[in-house]
Amino acid sequence: MRQFRALLWFAVIAMLVLFMLGPLAIVVVFSFNSGALVSLPLTGFSLDWYRELFSSDEFWAAFRNSLAVAVPTALLATVTGTMTALALTRKSASASVPLLTALSVPIMIPPLVVAIGLVVLYVRWLSIPLGIGAVIGGHLLLTQPLVALVVSARMASFDRVALEAARDLGATPWQAFRYVTLPQIRAALVGAALLAFAISLDEFIITIFTIGSGNTLSTFVWGKMRTSLDPSINAIATLLLVVTIGSTAIALRMTRYRG
Amino acid sequence: MSDASAPQRSTGGALLAAPAFAILAVLFIVPMILLFVVSFWRVRNFALTPDMSLDAYTRVFVTYGDVLVSTMANGSVTALICVGLGFLFAYAARFRAGRWGDALILVAIITLFGGYLVKIYAWKAILSTDGFLNAILVATGVSAEPLDTLLYNRGAVIVALVHFLLPFAILPIYGQLRSVNDIQIEAAHDLGASGRQTLIRVIIPQCRIGLFAAFAISFLYAAGDYITPRFLGGGSGTMIGQFIAQEFSTRFNWPAGAAMSFVLMAASLLVLGLVGILFVRRKPS
Repeated sequence: MRQFRALLWFAVIAMLVLFMLGPLAIVVVFSFNSGALVSLPLTGFSLDWYRELFSSDEFWAAFRNSLAVAVPTALLATVTGTMTALALTRKSASASVPLLTALSVPIMIPPLVVAIGLVVLYVRWLSIPLGIGAVIGGHLLLTQPLVALVVSARMASFDRVALEAARDLGATPWQAFRYVTLPQIRAALVGAALLAFAISLDEFIITIFTIGSGNTLSTFVWGKMRTSLDPSINAIATLLLVVTIGSTAIALRMTRYRG
Repeated sequence: MSDASAPQRSTGGALLAAPAFAILAVLFIVPMILLFVVSFWRVRNFALTPDMSLDAYTRVFVTYGDVLVSTMANGSVTALICVGLGFLFAYAARFRAGRWGDALILVAIITLFGGYLVKIYAWKAILSTDGFLNAILVATGVSAEPLDTLLYNRGAVIVALVHFLLPFAILPIYGQLRSVNDIQIEAAHDLGASGRQTLIRVIIPQCRIGLFAAFAISFLYAAGDYITPRFLGGGSGTMIGQFIAQEFSTRFNWPAGAAMSFVLMAASLLVLGLVGILFVRRKPS
């Protein structure tokens, strides 16, 4: 009976893991398959889809645009999110929790609604042209609350005595931050920035509404998805998987296991 | 610390939060107010005209009432499955998997960051007539012919949404299960409680908030999504988000798109409120 139970648990968990990882594994495997169809049997190992991708100017344009969005988003969100976290550590939980929640509202409502709100603002009221800058604005809304949450969690176990000591010894607020706070929270900052980068790179709905013309990697993938089952999608998807999972894995290591 | 510098420091502290909240105000709060205002406008001769009209809202309920209801139903079903499977997975990671528990959570995190569009595309490749699953079904003799009924329906949308949202459900539940005290569970066992009784009377009451958070996140996201139903839904799997996008960008009927957005959010809050009340009421004292 006991063994049967253990076996049942094993089966259930194996099914769930298969359900979660299977679709991603299929994409990766078929990016190296010579045939155009995502179906069995496999037709043989090939790097053709990667070759096709890397020789496409559109792919490189989309890649450049993705970096032009994700890098500034990660840097700006890390600055504004960290500043918020620093401000909130001086407040009691009853003051900081509602503020963090307010900052997080844009990630709790449908991205479609955030996106059309931005379009109405940009196009009708501000007459700002849609484009890279417009996308960065939208992505900041999604990433700065996450940075604030990650850094706040780090600040909870922060040694405040050293900070007070520095201030009492005459350090300016900037000096105290630069030489006392920053060294302690540096790993969390890098982790938060990578998380913001990964989220911006993957984001699609706000991007497609606010980019105007041109592509990022996600809208490039969407264009290919809509026209046909183009197997080079498997190759981009695999590259994106490596980048987002890689940066999040580093991010988690840095925020959890260090200093 | 001198008395004079204390108030100065605290205002300096508040100012640190200013950039983030300025971004929130300009790029989120102002747009939401504008969107709300626009929802009462009208479109005349292809031009937006300021008005105080409820036309857009009437249109939502008359034209899209059915879609709204089925969207809420799809969202609820998706969220319930996510909570069920998410609890099973988190429970296994916490109590059954031993040293493999961390590996299971890593699986959830990898799935979380697996790419939004990539997952939808993968499900299309798996479920299509000449796709992966049909190849297996035919090869194993389960089905003589490839099935063309796997894709373009409500079921395909729900499967893909569950796949996308399951990690979002697992993580909050696991977070709470982790703080469930082992000693209490042993005590329950020692006092003669069965496994089932321990689960219902000791473990589940302690992760109520995590379960509700898992439901809320899954539901909100599923109900607001429009790419999954558009790509995998076909006729029976349509959801309100598709029509918001359509009214807004294809037809340039901003008032309708805006009104539908607010109705969608209000309906979602209503469902969450009801679920929340049921959840609180069933709490054993």
